[in-house]
Amino acid sequence: MSILIEQDSDAVALRQGTRRFLLIAVLVVIAIVAAIFVRQGLFRQMATLGFVTDSAQELNKGLAVKVAGFRVGAVDSVTLRPDGKVEVSLEIDANYMKFVTHDAVIELRKEGLIGSSTLEILPGADKAHLAANEAKLNFNRAEGVTAMANQLREQIVPILNDIKAITGTLADPKSGLPATLASVRGTVDSIRELATTGNQQVSTLGAAAERALGKLDDDLSLVGKTLDATNARLPVLLEKSQKIVEHVEKITAAAEISVPPAVRDGGAVLGDVREIVSGAKQVWPVRNLVAAPTAAKLKADSDPRAEGAR
Amino acid sequence: MRKLELSAWLTMQALLLVSILSACSTPPPLVEPYIEKQALAAETDGARRYARGDYVGSKLNFADAGRMYLSVDNVVAAERSQLNAARAELALGSAEAALRRVASILEPTLVTEGLSISAQAHLALGAKAAAQATIALALAACPATCPDNPSLQVLQARALLADGRAAEALILAEFGLKALQGKDELREVANVWRLIASAALATGDTLRAQQAAQTALTIDRQLGLPEKIARDWLLLGEIGQKTGAADAEAAYRRALAIAQAAGLEPVSKLANEALAKGKGVSK
Repeated sequence: MSILIEQDSDAVALRQGTRRFLLIAVLVVIAIVAAIFVRQGLFRQMATLGFVTDSAQELNKGLAVKVAGFRVGAVDSVTLRPDGKVEVSLEIDANYMKFVTHDAVIELRKEGLIGSSTLEILPGADKAHLAANEAKLNFNRAEGVTAMANQLREQIVPILNDIKAITGTLADPKSGLPATLASVRGTVDSIRELATTGNQQVSTLGAAAERALGKLDDDLSLVGKTLDATNARLPVLLEKSQKIVEHVEKITAAAEISVPPAVRDGGAVLGDVREIVSGAKQVWPVRNLVAAPTAAKLKADSDPRAEGAR
Repeated sequence: MRKLELSAWLTMQALLLVSILSACSTPPPLVEPYIEKQALAAETDGARRYARGDYVGSKLNFADAGRMYLSVDNVVAAERSQLNAARAELALGSAEAALRRVASILEPTLVTEGLSISAQAHLALGAKAAAQATIALALAACPATCPDNPSLQVLQARALLADGRAAEALILAEFGLKALQGKDELREVANVWRLIASAALATGDTLRAQQAAQTALTIDRQLGLPEKIARDWLLLGEIGQKTGAADAEAAYRRALAIAQAAGLEPVSKLANEALAKGKGVSK
């Protein structure tokens, strides 16, 4: 009887241990599931952004959305609107909305040259105004490999054509390199002939130069005589010029004293005369003969020089 | 003898009474500041000189007036004098100087006139597009009721003719002529007739051109403006040359004589060139 009682107590302990184990296992599973949900962002607050584009090419649901290279969300939906445009909706973590300005641009980029596509949110210049939830932003496609290849091709093709033309010209026997070499050879021969002729002419020139030098010697002696005569007369001339300059200086000095007061007086006299005349114009009966001064309104004349259309 | 003395005394008393009464009847003169008075006198002299064709003196007077007005901070009068000086410069053939002078005008009441002078200067410099744009601005600022509107129409007709649109220029010039009817603007009326003559000549209507040029000449003679008279004779010569009339050369000679007498070098040169060309053709 006591043996049976002992077996019963063991079974109860085993049952209790199993229950405890199962309970812990269930708790661990719940914790793991909760962690996965948290990781997947199920409990995170999400914000929605969108844009409209002409084509859905390379735009798929689930496409990563990044800010400064960090994944912050994904494409939620890509729908074709009745007007033929494509509307794309993105869901991003609301915490990252502080990086999305109202003038931000969403750009479709490739990771590397041939990597997968991602959408990068490029914040705009106006950092003061952030984009609202469900805001529609501008969209732009970054240049892909094909576009770059085409651009490169457009730049390289003319260069290749030029190289082709240059090599063709160089190879041309009439106007190309062979002809140029032949021409250079001819020129070298001509220079050699010229040098020979030049040598002969220099020897002839030597004799002529000797004669010319003799004549030059005679001329120089004549110039020397003329200079002697000039030297003799120059001091007298200089003295006369000096006297004239001194005289002019005296006149100028005198004028400096006498002219400004005369000019001032003249100006004052002129002012007085003007005043007298304008005064006289206002006195009867002169004022009846002279029109009173008024603001001038000239008669219309759109062609004062009668040039017409010339 | 006593009677004679009495009548002389009475006559003197009567004269004294008349002069006292006439002095009392006139209003007291308005006292103006000295510089302002001088400026006004210079401006009036300038206008008088401009009217008789002395553009050099007129320009100097207006420039002086402008400086004096500016020195007493009378900006409106200073700008008005600047405009008048620019008109004198235009008449002297200094279109660039006129343009520079007009560029500083800011007074709203003078803007239309300033634009009109700018357009004339542009036309004189051969800048047709600038002239047309300026005229359009001026017409926008000066609608049909505005006193300067007829002149602007005439100016627009000139610009069209310069652009080779003779038929349109003719229509607009006639509108301008109608708008000027009944107004004391003889210079402008003569300008329109000259313009009608040029436009009619360009459209091939030589008879009308001849009549219009003669009308312009008659008015310019009446105004006594040598340059305009000489230019009218040049135009008559041109019309005569086109119709093959024998008096074309005589018209050019008349233009030359007037230009030489008045010392108008550019017009003399034009007349000489026209005469030389005519001889070349007849040979």
